Amino acid sequence: MAGVRLEHVYKKYPGSDLASVKDINLDIKDKEFLVLVGPSGCGKSTTLRMIAGLEEISEGKLFIGDRLVNDVAPKDRDIAMVFQSYALYPHMNVYQNMAFGLKLRKFKKADIDKRVREAAKILDIEHLLDRKPKALSGGQRQRVALGRAIVREPQVFLMDEPLSNLDAKLRGQMRAEISKLAKRLETTVIYVTHDQVEAMTMGDRIVVMKDGIIQQAASPEELYNHPTNIFVAGFIGAPSMNFIAGSLNDKGGELRFKADGIDVVIPEGKAKVLRDKGYANKEVVLGIRPDDFHEEPVFMEASPNTIVSAHIDVAENLGHEMILYLNGIGTQAVTARVDGRSTLREGQNVKLALDMNKAHIFDKESELNVFEN
Amino acid sequence: MSDWEQLQHILNCPIIAEDLLVSDHSEWTNLEPGMVLMEQAESLKAVWRVDYRTIRQLTIKRSTWTDTERALVQWAITQQAGQGLTSSYELDSKSDNERKSRALGEWIVQQAAIGGMETIPGSLASDGRLYAEMIPFLLETDQAAEASALSDLQKLLASFLDEDVIVIPLKAQEWLVLAPVSLMRDTLEERDDQTDMLEESLVSIGSGLHEMLASEWIGECHLAVGRPIKPVKSIVQSVILLQETIELGRIYDMGSNIHLPWNMHLERLLISIPENVRLRYVEQAFGRSDVFMEPETLSTLETFFALDCNVSETAKKLFIHRNTLLYRLDKLKQESGLDVRVFRDAVLMKIILLLYKVTKRT
Repeated sequence: MAGVRLEHVYKKYPGSDLASVKDINLDIKDKEFLVLVGPSGCGKSTTLRMIAGLEEISEGKLFIGDRLVNDVAPKDRDIAMVFQSYALYPHMNVYQNMAFGLKLRKFKKADIDKRVREAAKILDIEHLLDRKPKALSGGQRQRVALGRAIVREPQVFLMDEPLSNLDAKLRGQMRAEISKLAKRLETTVIYVTHDQVEAMTMGDRIVVMKDGIIQQAASPEELYNHPTNIFVAGFIGAPSMNFIAGSLNDKGGELRFKADGIDVVIPEGKAKVLRDKGYANKEVVLGIRPDDFHEEPVFMEASPNTIVSAHIDVAENLGHEMILYLNGIGTQAVTARVDGRSTLREGQNVKLALDMNKAHIFDKESELNVFEN
Repeated sequence: MSDWEQLQHILNCPIIAEDLLVSDHSEWTNLEPGMVLMEQAESLKAVWRVDYRTIRQLTIKRSTWTDTERALVQWAITQQAGQGLTSSYELDSKSDNERKSRALGEWIVQQAAIGGMETIPGSLASDGRLYAEMIPFLLETDQAAEASALSDLQKLLASFLDEDVIVIPLKAQEWLVLAPVSLMRDTLEERDDQTDMLEESLVSIGSGLHEMLASEWIGECHLAVGRPIKPVKSIVQSVILLQETIELGRIYDMGSNIHLPWNMHLERLLISIPENVRLRYVEQAFGRSDVFMEPETLSTLETFFALDCNVSETAKKLFIHRNTLLYRLDKLKQESGLDVRVFRDAVLMKIILLLYKVTKRT
């Protein structure tokens, strides 16, 4: 197994002035499960394809282990790939599909057999080894594609949206299995997804990308609690963080955030940072997650300076939680998540307290998180 | 007594016959089979090929000759050199097959360039498989191929398909692969819609082949798959069609590496329209072609058309909410005046989209 290092990597397509991927610097540790996440066109798949050798690197260096592999063919990089549009070999049975790569590399028959059967056992497809791909379900085919990668025992696994062709239930199941598998095989995995839930649940570290640039690379907890900018804050977490444009008013020893329908006090610790950085009496963007709205009387009593009033446009009860779509705070709809046992209903006016200790303040121009930069 | 011993006896002078390796004598590398080099000084020397690796050199030590003697010796040597071709010539089968493939490839390229519809001439059609039904695959790579690419590819395909395939090199980075139709037996099913089934089966084999070539051979490559043909009759037409399919695929279907001729009818028609007519049409039909400059609009429309204008499936495929997709389509309707959920507008938009792509490309 090995780590992967990208140093100032760029990708420019012929005929295009703009780079699709810009100045990527990443040090992926041996045995790390790294997830590249971002919206379509953010450069995550291009980055993975450059690591795989399927796209040429326009500029910069790529190391697998200590070896510079910019000019090494995909087959010689000691990697295994599982892509969204994986294709099994239709004329071979499952066993042959998994064994083919090893056969080409002139492994002994006994070794091939051992590896294929071990991988099949891990993936629970031992009973399918004689079947042809057309006789398999979507989930089984996905397992075979994984098996074909596993038997190679590569230094690095590369996966590009490998679960996107599966239905939601199977996707959840396979997500857990891939995580388990990565731990069991103790191998480095680089995994591309558009799905932040997949990223949060699978990755040791997540790299959030936008417009070909890394926005933030951090652990799931770090990304959720300490997003570096508005994009990351909005991308990670479902429902998304609420953003309310307003101003910070420093009056009577209190720093307050004010906008239409909201006037709340910033806690002292955060206020000090904001004052020190010159944000007092300036326009900013408040970021608050749906989870940080509270209707519990205890919380309301303890935080009288952070209470807001709003109208409930829609209330979605999911059983264990209720999602409220609120009107009247700032200029856009705001989402709050409360306990599923709440008695709140659509059409009601409601008072909720914000946990301002967990709030974020973003610079209006640069969109950077004031507390994290 | 050997032929040379008999000649030595008739001429009454020493004759020395030596077999030499071509690799040790670069001056004879270009000596074609059947060709004899002769020179006469103090002795008469003749050189000809025995096989691909070996040259025979004959030295007859005699300074004075009558015309009859010289003619007799020349006839004997020519006979020996010619005999070598038919009887004692040791064919290196691997090199010979490669030579035949290359010769056939050169002929196909020449014919394709002039749009020829010829059947393969007998001298190039010695391989009986060219008379049977075969599936044609055209393979193109952007990476420079190594000198051993042809034999590497042959070995790889033989191992992968476990069938007797023919690989014909066309250009430096382009190969025609002919695989027997028996390859489809595992992917065909008993169904009524035979045409759809055949195409599905070919797509399935093509996808597997592409995946294998990308990961186990040269990296990214483009592959076009055709319906089965009898190569001896229609190999040139098939190559022309597959080359055109890859060319169209690279323009119109940039995200894909597997290109199918039966999916390119409209594209083939549109690319034949002269550029000035195309531009005029786009301008007239749709003043604001800059709407397509948005990658989001392009990908939305491509996915929407690929999924037969199904809103739910498109939203799912694009990982966006159905309402987000509807918002995008409404926005496009406002900007272009075309509602792609209506058949008539969808057809027009599809044509404009294709024309835009080819216009942007040229």
